[in-house]
Amino acid sequence: MSANPPLQVDHESYEYACTVVDGCLTCGDVAVPVTVVEASQPDAICRDDHDQQGLVGVELVAPVSKGDRLLVHGGVAIARLEANA
Amino acid sequence: MKFVDEFRDGDLARSLATQIAALAEPGRHYKVMEVCGGHTHTIYKHGIEDHLPETVELVHGPGCPVCVIPMGRVDDAIALAKLPDVIFTCFGDMMRVPGGDGSLIDAKAEGADVRFVYSPLDALKIARKNPDKQVIFLAIGFETTAPSTALTLMRAKAEGLENFSVMCNHVTIVPPLKALLESPDLRLDAFIGPGHVSTVVGCRPYEFIPAQYGQPVVVAGFEPLDLLQSIYMIMKQLGEGRAEVENQYGRVVPWEGNMRALDVLDEVFELRPFFEWRGLGFISQSALKLSDAYADFDAELRFDVPGVRVADPKACQCGEVLKGVIKPWECKVFGTACTPETPIGTCMVSSEGACAAYYNFGRFARSKARTGS
Ligand code: SF4
Repeated sequence: MSANPPLQVDHESYEYACTVVDGCLTCGDVAVPVTVVEASQPDAICRDDHDQQGLVGVELVAPVSKGDRLLVHGGVAIARLEANA
Repeated sequence: MKFVDEFRDGDLARSLATQIAALAEPGRHYKVMEVCGGHTHTIYKHGIEDHLPETVELVHGPGCPVCVIPMGRVDDAIALAKLPDVIFTCFGDMMRVPGGDGSLIDAKAEGADVRFVYSPLDALKIARKNPDKQVIFLAIGFETTAPSTALTLMRAKAEGLENFSVMCNHVTIVPPLKALLESPDLRLDAFIGPGHVSTVVGCRPYEFIPAQYGQPVVVAGFEPLDLLQSIYMIMKQLGEGRAEVENQYGRVVPWEGNMRALDVLDEVFELRPFFEWRGLGFISQSALKLSDAYADFDAELRFDVPGVRVADPKACQCGEVLKGVIKPWECKVFGTACTPETPIGTCMVSSEGACAAYYNFGRFARSKARTGS
């Protein structure tokens, strides 16, 4: 994985994250694991496993902290990953 | 990569395949339905069937949300997209779904302002930036996707955004399963339950399947080993004469689901009395519409929608594919008139559609050989 780019906090510059690389583009029963890099509310900035950053609505799993692993679908986190592992 | 590499280990896959084969009783044929299009995609991408005994057949279910949208709803969406001063937004796969007279991408080529988004929250951003336009989001998907639409509507309401609305096509997973179980066309032994829908709804909604129909359900993850382990768990239940709901995907799916997401769905949506599913016909209480509290954001109330029912093209056998009655390659137009570039039916559009999955990963040749036709 390449070095992290400098953190941007301008939310307007981000699209919502759900760019599924493998499988259905967005609308199927596919969700993307991401890591929280900026734990803002109601949208956190998160990074996926392909090193892309995007906004994620986190109301359904709040509160979130930097480093939390979330499962995102349609730009919204629907589950925490490690909590149920 | 965590959550991926450890679920693609070849040695473990071979070991699970051996255990599955050992559980298959000689002379018995097993028909297992994977409900979810995401599972169909994994099965063909990773050649899961190649690891199974000939007697264990995987049947594709109706869990690809693009595939179950009837043509009339696509035509309604196109009619909305062509209205003046409208920006019409949808997920990318919906752009290519054929309606009775073209697709949303055709409407875009003809001048309609149709944009694809990765999230309904992006549609909301577009609405904020374009206060002189009406922005409509075409919502589709099962309970996995409905929370993102619900949160978007809650934010729109809180902001008092008057130029945003939703054409709601969200569907729910349990009613089509009931319809399939009642279908005389199909004799199934067990279900691989949808992983990410269950993240939201939990595992309890499937308990009627073992209780009333005596069939096991194993909620599964999306990596190759997840699926093989789930099939192993199903075979074990069948071998021991058990029928239960089990959760293979416990690292993501809580048994009770996401209660906060369920509350949000409850607030924003209510059940439609009935909804048409492609191939399955009208199923009662199988889809969502906006609740009275959010009726101001309902595009079907805000604008005139034709609401005409359109029959599928004669050549299209998506219905039979969606019910698992035929394999994709058994459709007369598969791979000839109907390809991912020129789809006739919905199952060829989304990469989760069974026809597209067969087409893209070349598994149809093997399936033909296996069934001897
Ligand atoms: S090949 Fe095309 S028309 Fe036939 S079932 Fe598949 S998607 Fe439908």
